[in-house]
Amino acid sequence: MPEKEYQRLTLARSRSAFAFAFMSRSSLWLGKDHLLCVDSSGYTETYKRFYFRDIQAISIQRTDAHHWWSGILGFPAFVFFIITIATAPKTPMAQWSGGQVAGGIILCSITGFFIMLFLMNLLFGPACKCFLRTAVQVEELPSLNRVRRAHKALARLHPLIVAVQGELNLNEISSRMQAIVRSLADTTTPVNAVSSPSIADRSQVPPVIS
Amino acid sequence: MSTPLVQCPKCQAWLLEGVFNQPELSLCPACGVLLQIEVFPALFRHINPGQGGETLVLESESSCFYHPDKRAIRHCDGCGRFLCALCDCELQGKHFCPTCLEAGKAKGKIKNLENQRTLYDNIALSLATYPLLIFYFTLVTAPVALFVAIRYWNAPRSIVRRTKVRYIAAIVLALTQVAGWSTLFVILARHQRL
Repeated sequence: MPEKEYQRLTLARSRSAFAFAFMSRSSLWLGKDHLLCVDSSGYTETYKRFYFRDIQAISIQRTDAHHWWSGILGFPAFVFFIITIATAPKTPMAQWSGGQVAGGIILCSITGFFIMLFLMNLLFGPACKCFLRTAVQVEELPSLNRVRRAHKALARLHPLIVAVQGELNLNEISSRMQAIVRSLADTTTPVNAVSSPSIADRSQVPPVIS
Repeated sequence: MSTPLVQCPKCQAWLLEGVFNQPELSLCPACGVLLQIEVFPALFRHINPGQGGETLVLESESSCFYHPDKRAIRHCDGCGRFLCALCDCELQGKHFCPTCLEAGKAKGKIKNLENQRTLYDNIALSLATYPLLIFYFTLVTAPVALFVAIRYWNAPRSIVRRTKVRYIAAIVLALTQVAGWSTLFVILARHQRL
């Protein structure tokens, strides 16, 4: 059997949080020398290739979406659970009429559906946004929308990128960053610099682009 | 993007150290959002500016096909024309002129330049399934689904999927619908004769 050209890295996920159908869905695939981002509308696919040699940085930013979804799914689950309990007949189940049985099944199904989604949201863990940076772009990777999933993907991607580019140790990163800041401070006048003193001296921080 | 410094995705503050290549998420020093940033050597790599092509000095030198006043440095691997540094486009170890590159992209010959494909298998399958919700539509859509499946049987499918299972499913479903309609018409015709 011939080796597959692309291996799946993530399942397809919608670009927008509230998009369920007929919307662009994005997935990531690993190629021999590049990462392929596939955006599919269902009837067309667009491809973006990020070659391992060009990837400069991958950022994971934790977001609050996980908590929002817990609220959005937990509230109806709770409401329907209360309605199910409150409307349940007091008589034993054997004495329920056909309508009561049907009503019970419908309410239990709706409650179960929301509880299942709520539990799935908890199970997937904290949400995040993931960005990939090259020399000419910063691209969001919508399919990496959970921290655990992003870590798994990064664990697969990291050795492939390191195999092409080599590895940077922490001291090297720090010294190179400082050198760049020094050179920028010599040539530019900082405007609207970040107030945090833990990043660098105000005089050394480059301008913030808002 | 020209500076090799990395910004916090949320507050856009320039990050210098402390959050890079950490095993877990750590706080952005400016806004406090949890971040993890993996940086690679490409971040610090110096990118050489593109070459403009050298001007021809001697008449005996070979010149670029597209720029007769520029010195040719190599030939196109696609058409063999001489190219200057400006026209030389390197792709996967081969050198092409802009015309060959454009033609290769248009004809789908250079796979790595393809950035869009139409999924005819999905179109055929959708035509065979969605109209089932309003069954009367299948009278029209089933033959169309069959046509699309057969017409684009050999068309390139998704880069990342290989099987023809959607075409097969579309054909089977469409044939079933066509057979159903044919049977209905035959039965109706017999009833009218009786």
